[in-house]
Amino acid sequence: MDTTTQPTTTQPSAIEKVFAFVDERVGLKTLQAKMLNEPVPGGSRWAYVFGSVLLFIFIMQAVTGILLMFYYVPTADHAYASTQYIIHTVDYGWFLLSYHFWGSTAMVVCVFAHMSQVFLWGAYKKPRELIWLVGLALFGIVMGFGFTGYLLPWDQRAYWATTVGVEIMDKTPLLGDFMARFLKGGATPGQMTLSRFFVIHVMVLPAALMGLAGLHLFLFRKAGPAGPFRGSVEEIKAKTDYFFPRQIWKDIVGMVAVFLCICSLAFWEPIVLLEEATPDPGDYHPEPEWYFLFLFQLLRLKVFAGEFGQFLGAIALPGAFMALLAALPFIDRDPERNIFKRPIALISWIVVMASILIFTVAAIINREFLE
Amino acid sequence: MTGRETMSSFKLGLSILWAACWTALPIKMAFAMLFMAMGTIHLETKLGITFLMLLMSPVSVFAFFLITLVTGFHFGEGAGLPLLFLVSIPIDMWSLGLVARTVFLERLRLEPPDSLGVGLWVRFALAGALYLPLLWVIESGATDLARSITKSILDLDMLKALPVAERIGLEFTAWGSVSLLVLLALTYIGLTILGKLVEGKTAGAQPASDTYQALIWRWDMFRVPTDQSLMLTAFTGAGAVMSVLFWMVLPVSTPHPHECCKPAAVTVAPPFDPQKSLTKGEKAFKDAEVKIAALEQKTAEEEKEKPKGGKDKAGVKDGAAKGDSKTPPPAAVKPAGSK
Repeated sequence: MDTTTQPTTTQPSAIEKVFAFVDERVGLKTLQAKMLNEPVPGGSRWAYVFGSVLLFIFIMQAVTGILLMFYYVPTADHAYASTQYIIHTVDYGWFLLSYHFWGSTAMVVCVFAHMSQVFLWGAYKKPRELIWLVGLALFGIVMGFGFTGYLLPWDQRAYWATTVGVEIMDKTPLLGDFMARFLKGGATPGQMTLSRFFVIHVMVLPAALMGLAGLHLFLFRKAGPAGPFRGSVEEIKAKTDYFFPRQIWKDIVGMVAVFLCICSLAFWEPIVLLEEATPDPGDYHPEPEWYFLFLFQLLRLKVFAGEFGQFLGAIALPGAFMALLAALPFIDRDPERNIFKRPIALISWIVVMASILIFTVAAIINREFLE
Repeated sequence: MTGRETMSSFKLGLSILWAACWTALPIKMAFAMLFMAMGTIHLETKLGITFLMLLMSPVSVFAFFLITLVTGFHFGEGAGLPLLFLVSIPIDMWSLGLVARTVFLERLRLEPPDSLGVGLWVRFALAGALYLPLLWVIESGATDLARSITKSILDLDMLKALPVAERIGLEFTAWGSVSLLVLLALTYIGLTILGKLVEGKTAGAQPASDTYQALIWRWDMFRVPTDQSLMLTAFTGAGAVMSVLFWMVLPVSTPHPHECCKPAAVTVAPPFDPQKSLTKGEKAFKDAEVKIAALEQKTAEEEKEKPKGGKDKAGVKDGAAKGDSKTPPPAAVKPAGSK
């Protein structure tokens, strides 16, 4: 019996051969190394999952949106009927539409959470100013998605929320009149409005979001993760890890949790349409989507009554707030990132969040007085 | 900070419960969704509270039922809710153990004792069973009291002219602040109690002698399974089974048809059957032929009886009959298709 050991040569499997073929042409291994071997200062954290979760929600919104488009007809005559058809007749249509609806809500919640995390962590500071600015633009796009998508079912809620929204937009100086006329396409919301909102919702905004999200990621990878805002250099260095596998695992768990939450909400509160849109509101009290409710309730205050008051509450205040957010990295030049050593930032965040909460709940309580 | 941390009871309770809740939640959510799809859970309008109860199930597992019994508060219906809490027990034990061992090594620099997860779960569940119903009663009472006081203040004559929007905002801010403060105070006490229960375990624990880097390696390795391939296969298999189950039990049409918006009932016309139509036509013609034949026979009998009457009358009748003679008798007109 021959006991000498023979050198064994293992043949590459079919998958390895395909991988090698593609790698030779596009540099897959380099790309994989760049994507996965990103050092995360201080190690992986649950607080960092919101960006990946947002990307996941957007992909799911695109998938469910495309499936809904197979049945949805964007005309004033058929939009309502086709949406009812999706809910009542199409197999699992109710679930797809409800998922898409709650997915938009999840997107807004995650955008707020992501922006809050970046703000509290002080991650907008030098050298990450551009990431923050692009992030603000992405926030605007997410709000735009919510606003344009709300009209598409063409029921009373959709029609009147859009009417109110466009009227608010009309109050913007210089551009307001043009924007309102462009969006409405006529004296009252009708076919032209629906067509324009549909095109913006399914073509313009997704393209803009994909472009800006790509830029956001590029800038993020260029500047690198900010890391935790406290801890000694020794501690952060000891805990520093690569993006793969721990942060990816946390991101996946975050995505699964959000997916399950959206599914549960789709079950618990599936979407139900009101009557078909008509230019007569009847008993219906126009109201925007919940994430605009705080602004809607703010405009009910007496101080914001009248033409000037409405402009102040609907345009000037939110505009000034957004401008302040955009200017934040250039105003706050202190390199200190620990939120507990930035009392103005912490108090401001608490005040803004509490105000949004109070006005949103007040708007819900206000419904009783209208009825 | 790489030295041993001195943690207050509150901080200790918070650091373990907070992380343990979020660690276990995704797994519990998968079961919750499956039960919802199966129609065994019917939540009412308290989804937020139910979500919190599920998130906090290491302490709410017994308290949930006590609150339902004592206060009559209705979370929802169906066998799925108690089943969900039953499924949550091992998941919570695992997550509490994982998180507590990490806190022992990383923050307290202590060797975690054996069966830490099970031990903490039993203590947390018992403490929750006693404390959460108490918290519920105090919080509800404080909120009700704050609401009634706020309402009576705003009903004063000097404040009656306040516009509705301002009134709602003020009222909610006033009673909401009181309610929130009471809730925060009670949460602080609750977490301190849990921290004290953890301290019972730390008292007998040995100090960890490894370097900081070695400790990080140890608690990091808690999260990495010994047999990674087996773990990955098990996870993938469980995910696949759950997905198949979900699509099997997911209702095809909406399980919540709304009364106001039900689609109009459409009556579908039966499909056209040529053979049936022909048979029906032939039958109609045959019936018509029989009726015509009966009428002809009757007319003929009447004609026979007429000559027996007056001649003049018959003459007039004859004249009329002559004038009508151009019209063929009914029997001569045969409908198309008749044999």
